[in-house]
Amino acid sequence: MIKVKFLERPNLNLWEKVFFLDFINGLKVTFKNLLRKTITTKYPYEKLTPPKRFRGVHAHRVKDGQEPPSFAVLGKFMEINYDESRCVACYMCQQACPMPTLFKIEAVQLPNGKKRVTKFEMNLLNCLYCGLCVDACPVDCLIMTDIYESANYHRKNCVIHMEDMSDRGRDFDRRRKQEKDRIWIDDQERTKLWGQIRWT
Amino acid sequence: MEILGTVIGVVVKSLIFIVGMFLAAAYLTLIERKFAGHVQQRPGPLHVGFHGLLQPIADALKVLTKEDIVPANVDRVLFYLASLLAFVPAIMILAVIPFGEPFTLFGIEIKPYITDLNVGLILALAFGSISIYGVIFAGWASNSKYPMIGGLRKAAVLIGYEVALGFAMVGPLMMAGSFSLREIVAAQDGFFGAFIWYQPIAFIVILFAILAETGRTPFDVQEAEAELVSGYNTEYSGMKFGLFPLAEWYIGTFVLSAIAVILFFGGWKGPQIFGFLSPFIWFFLKVAMMFMFFLWVHWTLPRYRVDQITEIAWKVMLPLSLLNIFITAIIILIKG
Ligand code: SF4
Ligand code: SF4
Repeated sequence: MIKVKFLERPNLNLWEKVFFLDFINGLKVTFKNLLRKTITTKYPYEKLTPPKRFRGVHAHRVKDGQEPPSFAVLGKFMEINYDESRCVACYMCQQACPMPTLFKIEAVQLPNGKKRVTKFEMNLLNCLYCGLCVDACPVDCLIMTDIYESANYHRKNCVIHMEDMSDRGRDFDRRRKQEKDRIWIDDQERTKLWGQIRWT
Repeated sequence: MEILGTVIGVVVKSLIFIVGMFLAAAYLTLIERKFAGHVQQRPGPLHVGFHGLLQPIADALKVLTKEDIVPANVDRVLFYLASLLAFVPAIMILAVIPFGEPFTLFGIEIKPYITDLNVGLILALAFGSISIYGVIFAGWASNSKYPMIGGLRKAAVLIGYEVALGFAMVGPLMMAGSFSLREIVAAQDGFFGAFIWYQPIAFIVILFAILAETGRTPFDVQEAEAELVSGYNTEYSGMKFGLFPLAEWYIGTFVLSAIAVILFFGGWKGPQIFGFLSPFIWFFLKVAMMFMFFLWVHWTLPRYRVDQITEIAWKVMLPLSLLNIFITAIIILIKG
């Protein structure tokens, strides 16, 4: 059952009708806004930093000694050098993805019996930036960064590879690993934009 | 020889007026975009030239080089005609608008108007109405639903406000005793001679009518972006499309503001503080204020429904303008 709420039409008195008082109030509001400062970000010249939890272009965290405990188990079977992508090619991300074909993950068994990831490609043209792959990754390898400028002139450039993903991951961790995980950033730009928020 | 001189003079003057109007219209778009932007707390065009000063030129280049698509099932003659029919009459109103008194420069008498007809105001009204045909034809010729609805809405609105507009203009005309726009200005003497003090009702009705005629927001039912995907000009593209907003929003509004200024604010009259240029400066200052007022209203109010507009036009504005004629007539009778 849809509930319908009936609202009385506001009845204007004669005074308001004759002198268009509502109309003049409206004009006053627009005039006030006209004098206020603009709040536009002049985008290509000035960029806002998205919040840390922003879901931008994907990246790989590298093996840097800060892995979660699960990596200690899985990593034993892996041939991963220090400062290389810590992906263990478990395909969990692909499993979780609503569009699994955008992943191209390949791994080989080396003569010493260990496993090495040779290929990790994602075609971001098909990605809908839902973040399910990030949640699925058991070793906290796949992350999403705050980079949102992913437009390209060629389709092939929209495919990201393991190397540039690790670069991006290193860069992102360097910049924002220490930052507290808040939903809203509280930095200068935000204050400039919306004013200081006073929490009660 | 005499005739040749007149012809050359008129041709040159018309060219100056038309080219000037084109340039002015281009920069009126910039003013409108800046104004609309700042009302909504955004800066408007900013990066082409200093604060967007070259934006109109970039826009003109863009719209001129756009592909001009003519849908397959349109009525071609009317389709092509419509955009011209909206544009040309709007710019032709300029022919009767005086921008100042004749003055002498280097021994030549220069008249800052093209003609001084004794039916100037009626001509302006007539051209204004013809220019509406452009909209209606565009709606009809496009052979598509939204333009059709837009055109029909405009026709419905037109019938309402044209009547009120015509009657409202009678008030100032009675006080001036002439249809010639120059003589109407001449009849308004000094600050308290301006007709706005004697004809406030007519002024309000004419404001309403101008907003409706130029399709600005409280009455922009014919292009209602939200419901009609820009209404009558949905099927147009390229410069054929560009002529519509240029004609309606810029040239139409400018020219009708000029007429409103002439009727109510004493045209180019004002203190002689800028030397021999002062009539022009006063005139353009007043017209610019008027234009800005229309912009202001446009970017403030939401849209009325068609039935509400016709209701206002027939039930409020028409009686008001008739009442105004009645009162003016009685006062003129008493004062003799
Ligand atoms: S963000 Fe969503 S769509 Fe994109 S790769 Fe991850 S799971 Fe797939
Ligand atoms: S879920 Fe993580 S570890 Fe597994 S394949 Fe994907 S990125 Fe690599």
